[in-house]
Amino acid sequence: MNGKIDKDLLTHLINEVNSMVTEEIKIMEVCGTHTQMIAKLGLKTLLSSKIKLLSGPGCPVCVTEEKYIDRAIEILNKYDVTLATFGDLIKVRGSKVSLQEEKSRGKDVRIVYSPLDLIDMAEKNRGKQIVFLGVGFETTAPIIALAIKTAYDRGIDNLYFLTSIKLMSPVLHYIMKEANSQIHGLICPGHVATVKGSDYFKFINREYLIPAAVCGFEAIDIVGGIYYLVKQITQKRENAFQNLYKRCVSSQGNINANMLLDEVFDILDGEWRGIGNIEKSSLQINKKYARFDALNLFVVENQDVKVSMNCECKDILLGKKTPEECKLFMMGCNPRSPQGPCMVSTEGACAIAHRYGGGSIE
Amino acid sequence: MNDKVLLRYGDGGKHTNLLIRNIFYKHFHNDMLVNYHDASVFDLDHGRLAFTTDSFVVKPLVFPGGDIGKLAVCGTINDLVTAGAKPLYLSCGFIIEEGFDIKLIEKIAESMGEMCRKTGVKIITGDTKVVEKGAVDGVFINTSGIGVVQAGYQPKTIQEGDQIIITGGIAEHGTTIAVERFKIKVEGNIKSDCSPLNHIIERIQPKLESIRLMKDPTRGGLATALNEIVEMSGKGIRLLEKAIPISSEVKSINELLGLDPLYHACEGRLIIIVEKQNAEEVLDEIRRCEGCEDATIIGGFDLIGVHPRVVMETYIGGRRIVSPLEADMLPRIC
Repeated sequence: MNGKIDKDLLTHLINEVNSMVTEEIKIMEVCGTHTQMIAKLGLKTLLSSKIKLLSGPGCPVCVTEEKYIDRAIEILNKYDVTLATFGDLIKVRGSKVSLQEEKSRGKDVRIVYSPLDLIDMAEKNRGKQIVFLGVGFETTAPIIALAIKTAYDRGIDNLYFLTSIKLMSPVLHYIMKEANSQIHGLICPGHVATVKGSDYFKFINREYLIPAAVCGFEAIDIVGGIYYLVKQITQKRENAFQNLYKRCVSSQGNINANMLLDEVFDILDGEWRGIGNIEKSSLQINKKYARFDALNLFVVENQDVKVSMNCECKDILLGKKTPEECKLFMMGCNPRSPQGPCMVSTEGACAIAHRYGGGSIE
Repeated sequence: MNDKVLLRYGDGGKHTNLLIRNIFYKHFHNDMLVNYHDASVFDLDHGRLAFTTDSFVVKPLVFPGGDIGKLAVCGTINDLVTAGAKPLYLSCGFIIEEGFDIKLIEKIAESMGEMCRKTGVKIITGDTKVVEKGAVDGVFINTSGIGVVQAGYQPKTIQEGDQIIITGGIAEHGTTIAVERFKIKVEGNIKSDCSPLNHIIERIQPKLESIRLMKDPTRGGLATALNEIVEMSGKGIRLLEKAIPISSEVKSINELLGLDPLYHACEGRLIIIVEKQNAEEVLDEIRRCEGCEDATIIGGFDLIGVHPRVVMETYIGGRRIVSPLEADMLPRIC
């Protein structure tokens, strides 16, 4: 996707988008990878200032609640366990400290790339209890479910899962129902759609009458998605939903992955960092696999944490504000000292705006 | 000798001597080292000297394209090269964990000896310590180096319009290490770019007057190195995304992992800032060097009137900031 023809096509689409826009249009992209790609392309510097691209709550690390991190740290401190985690979850602070700080104090915290590596780790270290921190959306949930099922099938008895898996559709309902939601169009997360299918996101258009498109992650996917949405919005077409990522996403999604999710998890209410409780928005390990649930073995205090958040992450996660509109952005809130969830992860909206300069680089 | 490093191999007695003679002297062999003195004495041509030191604690110790020994020699040679110096002599200090495999120590020493022969650099003094198991992780190496600064070279003030050359594909070392560290099962030809750069400075010697500055983009990668240059010079860089050489393997693996090649360490590449009128000529010379066929001009100091920073012109024509590395990169979750 570097050739002249492709660049010409992109330039053409961007020019078309800019010529169609006469008044402000707000488009939300929900997935952190989309947010990152938009910033890496410098897309906001090419689009009309009337187009506002807003980031949603699609960064799994950002929406992982403080209480969850606190529990992980409590297990690490009270019991002789190895704590395994994905990527930059290690940097996220609970109400007091992060796993990275605990690791630097000599605690056994390891980063794994795939939950299936846990099976190897558990089999090779039978004398050690291993706790995996399973976070993410519908995207990572199937591989966590597969690890749990594999552990069950192989009779592994030293591997446990502390989960905080979120569902995308309940949070989107929440955003759309918010009284001040002024989003005109939505770029749906291509990774989630790969698992759940494009039909999973049809409700956006059906119930809230705004156009939506499932998009991939190349420049042409994103620019094509914006072109499609702006066209529907400016021509005031209400019945507009498209799967623009057909090379990876079918209407029904990955049936095997969904069967696995149904087998291993129940759907319960979930706590979202910066947002609060959302009904039926999380996946929890069900009764059959309950012995793998870390909370059934390790006793942790169930204290509610009151975290005072001075920043405007909630409004940013809900698409009401951009990072630059937060009073703390670059003024005391930065990746080294994040004040709120959006600055925590490399895929958080504020961290991305901080790193790539958002729409303004002057 | 035992097949494992024992604590007594570091006690300064007979066994230390065996380790030094049977492994280090064998591979580092040169007339100045083997005279058994604690310090080597040498003559130098009149001129300006460059002196540097670095410690190497890389994991894994052996990786596709190199090992900690090759890295230690190349790293120190390359630090001298960035000062415009011809590297001459190195020291090396080993801190080895008790129980370390002797064959692996020999392999590391062999790599170091090979790099020295290839570059004409001599290891002329050294030190060996063996510490209790757990006190270090395998082996740590410190190398110091001394070289003579080449006539015609001294760092100069960067001027508007100066061009930036990178001598080859970026992120190959860092991506190789990431693949090993995260145990990613990938097929392909990914290997570290770890190599000495002294031949480049020999090639461009007649043009050294036109070179403003040289820097090797090691820890923190190209992005961090360029940001350091901006901070030092107070002048902004316009970086051209489509010009930055990145192999398709490196690009694909980083996309898969959610990592950014701009921040991966290079261990055999040089950033050369050169005055505009000589940039193409210098580039032509560099491209004649072994392993520098992909050398290219990736941008210049031509951001006038803006806050000094590195701004990338993306391949679709957008613009964005390239920040220095904030913290270690980790694979993305989603």
